[in-house]
Parts: sequence; structure tokens; C-alpha cells
Amino acid sequence: MGIERVQCGYVSLDETFEIRKEKYHGQQYCHIYFARLHLMRTLLYSLVPHWKPNYPVCTVLELEEGKECVIVGTLYKHMKLKPRILDEYSKQKSVVPLVKPHNFMHSDDYLVLEDESGRVKLNGNIIPPSEYVTGIVVALLGKESGAGDFLVQDVLDTGLPPQIEFPLKSGEDKYVVLVSGLSVGSSTSNPLQFQLLIDQITGHLGDEKAQRFASKIVQVVFAGNLVEIPQRILNGQNLASEDFARMSEPIRELDIMLSQIAAGLPLDIMPGPSDPANFSLPQQSLHGCLFPGSSTYNTFRSCTNPHCFELDNVRFLGTSGQNVDDLDKYSDAKDKLEFMERTLRWRHLAPTAPNTLGCFPFTERDPFFLESCPHVYFVGNQDKFETRIVNGSEGQLVRLICVPKFSETGVAVMINLRDLECHALSFTVDL
Amino acid sequence: MASVTGNMKGFYRQRKTTATKKSSKKSPIHTAIPGSTGIQTPATTANGGKPDLQSECNESEVVLRQFDLNMAYGPCVGIARLARWERAQRLGLNPPQEIEGLLKSGKVQMESLWGGRI
Repeated sequence: MGIERVQCGYVSLDETFEIRKEKYHGQQYCHIYFARLHLMRTLLYSLVPHWKPNYPVCTVLELEEGKECVIVGTLYKHMKLKPRILDEYSKQKSVVPLVKPHNFMHSDDYLVLEDESGRVKLNGNIIPPSEYVTGIVVALLGKESGAGDFLVQDVLDTGLPPQIEFPLKSGEDKYVVLVSGLSVGSSTSNPLQFQLLIDQITGHLGDEKAQRFASKIVQVVFAGNLVEIPQRILNGQNLASEDFARMSEPIRELDIMLSQIAAGLPLDIMPGPSDPANFSLPQQSLHGCLFPGSSTYNTFRSCTNPHCFELDNVRFLGTSGQNVDDLDKYSDAKDKLEFMERTLRWRHLAPTAPNTLGCFPFTERDPFFLESCPHVYFVGNQDKFETRIVNGSEGQLVRLICVPKFSETGVAVMINLRDLECHALSFTVDL
Repeated sequence: MASVTGNMKGFYRQRKTTATKKSSKKSPIHTAIPGSTGIQTPATTANGGKPDLQSECNESEVVLRQFDLNMAYGPCVGIARLARWERAQRLGLNPPQEIEGLLKSGKVQMESLWGGRI
């Protein structure tokens, strides 16, 4: 007797991350900062009267010494150790301290607030530079000190965006599987491990109980780094004909594996930093012709990175990890989940783009501005599996998930759509 | 083109004259045009502050340049004038209607002040 797979309604919300309509004609990044500042400032101006009703709001140019007021602008973090292209051309050897292995922070870093009228250096313990990065828009209460700095007394960020209502509990378990960092073709990737994962979620493994469990999986999402093209082939020289075959080998292998999944259940793939997609965010979907086998199934969807979708009115938002990895390079937090939480509170998916993270030069909008809050927010290609629930001031509830690299840890993540409970699915093939 | 003798100095002076002439109308122009050279200012005054660029750019071009340099509607580099106007409209910044009329008439330059120069 066969067991039928549970079905689920899917809505793709990737439209904001598509660059199809945008054209590049030499524009610079100032437009994206303008759009961001405008969007966020409008939002912050509406919050300020509730936050500090008794203080005037002014621009940077209107600051006067000793006058307490609220200013809104984009933060810029001045970092001594941040690599600059100009350093390579500078004639004089400067004494720059060595960069720490994990990030570019230094105790001398300081923050500057900018708007159209000017910029002012920030002071005070309320706003520690280690927690903030370039590109965030905040409202600050404070006053100009004698030295021309702005002494910050309080900070307001935009907070979690409004959230669509969580669907009423149906009592039915439906699972979504998140996998990241397959890295097919790399030395760490183990085909047997991946095959075990496939057999598990398609229900080819275990007894009837295990199969019944597998039948409740409604969606699989691969969050970036599907393949790894051997670096030694891509050395900038013309490829020999046998190298062409070797270069496409990982993708062909992946296609065979993915078509096994696509035959059984819906599957989304997102490009990541090591995939043959564009480098700058938002990464566009991988073309179907790379996957001649699996793209014939209508269950196979090639998506953008970041990727946003709804399953039975539960909203998912995820990236392949670039945004959080970049925050980790330029700021400090106790774990990766805290970076994720901050991006939600700042209402911006990738604040360091375009400063230190590659990004398409949009002129009309900022696609990473978060208009609504997801129920599940995941980030791929992390070192270990971590998860936490974050609550917003307006009753928002978000499940944060760090999805580990599958090729290194053998861990995939399962989420229950009914209650957003989340657990790891671990595969080991040590003999 | 009679007044433009072809030397670059004269060319820049003309632009400067426009800006100072119109500055009574809108203040952001002061921040937008830095005192590009100290040498040119005396030259302008020596000229009696007269706008001698009618030949190069007419009334509408002056208005459009004012629009280009108004920071309230965002940066003007790398974006066509109409696209910038439409963006401002979409973002709810209420850009002046006359600008739209001018740009849609098709008789004016569509690129911004710096178009093709940077």
C-alpha cells in the first residue's frame, strides 16, 4: 500500500530580487543609499514622536552645540583595518596593525552619521562601534559636544517589520527541509552521504514509520553552494577540451541527484558564493539548462538568492549566507543568530551591501529593505546548526535558523510548518 | 556661441554665473557647487554678474539644472532626468510639475548636468 505525500500551497515572492528590469548605464552606488535613507527615514520619523516626544528633529547641518535633538541618518563605520584598494597604490608605507584572522575590527573604529546635508562623528558608550556596521539607518538622540562630535544619549532602530498573521494551527504536521553547502565536486563532499539524504526525504529508507514521516515533507530548499568547481581549472587560461568536461562534471552529478528529489517532491535551489551564478547580490537564479534532467520536472524551481516564498501562508526568507558572513567580518556578536536578529531589527537584509558586499547598483529601490517580517528566516553555509525564536514588540514571532554546510557536517534542518519547531537531520557514513 | 570663445576657462565661468544668479531662489545650490576655483569669482564680478550664457543654455535648461542640483530628489549622476523625476514622484517627494512638462516636451537635454562629463 502506498503512502501519499502531503501537499502544500507555494507562492514565490522572489520578484523584488530579480534584476530583469534594471539596466546598468554607469550609475554609482549613491542611489541605493539615497533610496535606503529615504525609506528608513520616513519610517523613523513616524516612530520618533512616540519615542522622544519632547525633542526637536533636525538634520546634521542644523546641529548646534549643546542643543539636545534627534537626528536621523546613515551610519558609516570608519575602520582602520578595512582593506582599501588605494592602499595598494600608496607610495608611503603606513604602519597598519596586522589584521586578526577572523575579522577587520580594531579598538580605534568609530561611527559617523551622514545625511544629505553633512556628516558628524559619534561619541558615547550608548552606541558601541563593534555592534554596528556601515549602511544602517538609525535615529539618535544627543547633543553636539564642544569638539564638534555628537554625544549620543539614545539610539532607535526601526525594529522588526510588521508580520502577516501566522496561519491557524491545522493540527497537521508538514515539514520543510533546508540543506546548504552540498559542494558537489569538492574533496569534503561525500556522494554516499548526499544519497542517504535523498533516500531519507524521498522515503526510500527505513520502515513504514520512517516512510510515513518522510511523506510529510512538503518542500526541500537548497540554500547555496550546490557545487564547487575545482579552482585549479579556473586559472584564467584557455581551457583544454578535457577540462571543459571536468568543469561541468560537478553540475552534471548534481543534476542526477536533484532529479531524484524532483521526481518525489518540490525542490528550490538558490545560488551561493561558489555556484556558477553572478557574484553580486541579489544572485539571479541558475539557468535551467544547467540541469537538463531535473528541470524537466515542474517540482524543480531555480530561485534567486536571497529567496522569499510562502508555504501555506507561512513566510520564509533566506540567503546563502553572504550577508551574515560579511557582518561577521566587520562587526561582533556572540553568535551568528545575533547577526540575523540584528538584520531584522535594522530592517535590512544586507546592510553592508554595497560597501563591503557586492551588490547590483539599483537606482530606484533598495531590494534588501524588509517590508514585512518572515516567519522563518534562514541563512545557509554556516559552521554549525543554531536556531532560536525572536519576538518583536508587535507580537511578531520569527524562527531564526543557521543552516550548516552539509558537506562538512552532514546536517540538514527540518522545520515543522505547524508550530515552527525545528530539528537537525544528521547523516554520518563513517565505516 | 558668440560669447564662447572656446577656451575652457570661459566655459566654466558661465556655469558659475548661472548658479550665483539663481541662488536667491534655492539655497542648496551653495552646497552643490563648491567654490570651484578662486580665480573665477573675480572674473564673474568683473563681468558685472551678467548671465552671458543665453546662447548656450536657455531658460528651461537653467530650471533643469536647478533640479539636477537639488539634493532633496537624490543624486543626479548616472540617471536620466526623467527617471530621476519619476523616482522622486514614486518616493512621494513631490518634484515640481513643470520639470515633468519640460522633460516630456522632448526639446530639452535628457541627461543631467554631468551627463557624459563624468
